[in-house]
Amino acid sequence: MSSKLSQPVGSFRVIARGKLGDERIQGVLDLSVTRLRDLRLDAWSGLEDVEALRERAHEIRMRVVDDLEGYLDQFQRSVERLGGHVHRAGTPEEAVALIVAICERRGAKLVAKSKSMATEEIGLNGALEAAGIRPVETDLGEYILQLGGEHPVHIVAPAIEKTKEQVAELFSAIEGRAVPAELEALTASARRQLREVFLTADVGVTGCNMAVAETGTVTLVTNEGNGRLVSSLPPCHVVVMGMERVVPTLDDLSVILRLLARSATGQKLSSYTTLITGPRREGETDGPEELHVVIIDNGRTNLLHGRYREMLACIRCGACLNVCPVFRKTGGAAYGPVYSGPMGAVLVPLYVGLGNAPDLPHASTLCGACTEACPVKIPLHELLLDLRRDLVQQGVSPRWERVAFTLWSLAWATPFGYRLSTALARLGQPLGALAGPGKLWAAGRAVPALAARRYRDRPRG
Amino acid sequence: MAEPVTEPAVDPALVARFVANATANGFTVHRGAAPLIEGAGVSVASYGLAESGSVVLAAAPDEPRANSLLPDVHVSLLREELILPGLPELFAALSGRLPSALAIVSGPSKSADIEQLLAVGVHGPKEEHVVLLPAAPPPAAPPQ
Repeated sequence: MSSKLSQPVGSFRVIARGKLGDERIQGVLDLSVTRLRDLRLDAWSGLEDVEALRERAHEIRMRVVDDLEGYLDQFQRSVERLGGHVHRAGTPEEAVALIVAICERRGAKLVAKSKSMATEEIGLNGALEAAGIRPVETDLGEYILQLGGEHPVHIVAPAIEKTKEQVAELFSAIEGRAVPAELEALTASARRQLREVFLTADVGVTGCNMAVAETGTVTLVTNEGNGRLVSSLPPCHVVVMGMERVVPTLDDLSVILRLLARSATGQKLSSYTTLITGPRREGETDGPEELHVVIIDNGRTNLLHGRYREMLACIRCGACLNVCPVFRKTGGAAYGPVYSGPMGAVLVPLYVGLGNAPDLPHASTLCGACTEACPVKIPLHELLLDLRRDLVQQGVSPRWERVAFTLWSLAWATPFGYRLSTALARLGQPLGALAGPGKLWAAGRAVPALAARRYRDRPRG
Repeated sequence: MAEPVTEPAVDPALVARFVANATANGFTVHRGAAPLIEGAGVSVASYGLAESGSVVLAAAPDEPRANSLLPDVHVSLLREELILPGLPELFAALSGRLPSALAIVSGPSKSADIEQLLAVGVHGPKEEHVVLLPAAPPPAAPPQ
C-alpha cells in the first residue's frame, strides 16, 4: 500500500482546524493563492483562443489515456534507441528499489534532486537515506522544507507557508553563522549551499513534466534552473515519471506547454523549459553519460478504465488549488504530504482506495471553480461528487450518516413528512439544535437561523 | 547558377515582438554590438521565440550546457532571421531532429519560493543578455 499518500479518518479536519486558527497562515494563503489565481487569469486572457487550446489539450491527454500502453511502449523504444534505459515500477517499493540499485551500482554518495511530486509519492528521500545515500533537494522551496523536515503544501509553491525569518533560521544553522532574514541574503546563501551539491553530486534525480512518445524526450519546466543543472552536471540522470505523463508528438507538447506555465504561474513559459532527448552524445563535453527513466504506476492503472479516467489528464499546474475556497482556508497540509487541493482530493483516494483517504472527497464545496480553472478541462467537482457516491456505495462512509440520509429521504418523500420535519427543526433550534454527528458537521460552518415563520405558513396573496 | 540568391527573410514585426517580450522576461537585449563582460558564458542560440521572448539553446560539442548554467552572466548570440513566432513553429523547424538537450530560456533564473517574493539568480545566471545579429549576408557569388 502507498502509505505516503494514505490518511486516517478525521485527519483533514484536525489539521485544517489548526490552520484555520492561525492568523498568519490565513494571511499568507489569502495573499499567495489569490495572487497565483490572478496571474493565471491574466495569462489566459493574453491567449488568442484559450477555450480552443483547452479543448485541444483535453483531446490530446484523453487520446493518450485511451492507448496509454501503446504510447509508453513507443516512448520506451525511442529512449532506448538513443541509448537511454527505461524501467517500469508498479509500487513505490519497486520504484525506490530500482533507483537505489542504480545509485549503488554507481557507488553514489550524493544525489541532487530537482522538484518532483512523483519522488514525494514514492518516498524516495527516505529510501536513499536508509541506503546511506544523501539526497539534497535543489528547488529552493523544497530545500527549505527538507532542512525543516517538512513536506510540500502546494504542488507549485511548496513552501508557501514559510516566512523569511523561518528560512533564515534554517540557513544560519547550515552556514554556522547568522544569515539575515532578507531575500537577497537568503538567495545568495542557498546559491552557495546548492552550487556545491550540483558540482559534486554523483546522480541527478528529476521528475518529468511531460514526455514525448515519438522522440523519447523528457521535458522539465523550472524557473530556478535547478532542473537543468541536475540533468546536466551529474554523470548519471534518473528521471522519475508518473506513467500518464506522456504525449504522442512534439506538436502535442507545444499545446500542453503553452498552457502549463500560464496556468501555474501566469508566465508564457517558465524561465527554463528543457527538452532532454537521450544521454550525452559523442563529442559533447557535458551532460549525463547515463540516462534512466523510471516509470511509476502506483495506483494509476486503477483509473485507466472507468469513471475517473479523465483525472489522468492532469498536468500538475496547481490552477485548481489557487481557486478552491477550501484550499484557500486550509492550505495543503490537511490533504496529506504530497497532493492537495481539488486535484489531490480526487487523485489520492483513487490511488490508495477510498478507505485510505475517506475525508478527501468532502474537502470541497462543489462550487466548480476548479473545473473552470483546469487547463485540460477535467470535471473535478463532478468527480468529487461521484467519489462521495462511491463512499456510500462501498460502505466507507459512517453508518450514522447512511441511516440519517435514509431517514431524511423517507421523511421528505411525503408532504406530511416534510411538514413534520420543518416543524420539528423549528422546535429543535432553540434547544441548541444539532447534537451528535450533526454537531460535528456544524463545527466550522455557520448554520443559518431558521425564519420565525415558515414560508409555506405565510399569508398568501 | 543564374538564380538570384534570396535573402533570408527577417520580419521586423516579429523581431520587435521578440525584443518586447524578452525584455519583459528580464533579458537585456543588445543590437549589433556585443557587450564585453568578463567571465560571461556565451552561447550561439539556435532560435528565438517572439511569443514568449525566449532564446533556444541546443547542446552540441561546441555548445556545452554549462556555458549557460554556471557563469553569473550569460550572453546569447541570436541572428534575427532565426526568430520564430512560437513553440509550434520551433518544433516544426526542428522536424524531429532534437539535440540531447534543448533549453528554451525565458529569462534569468528566478524563484518566488520565499514569501512569493521574486528572487533572481537562485541557481543559474543572474543576468541574461541577448545580442541580436543582423541576418547572415547572402553567400558571395562564386568566382567566374
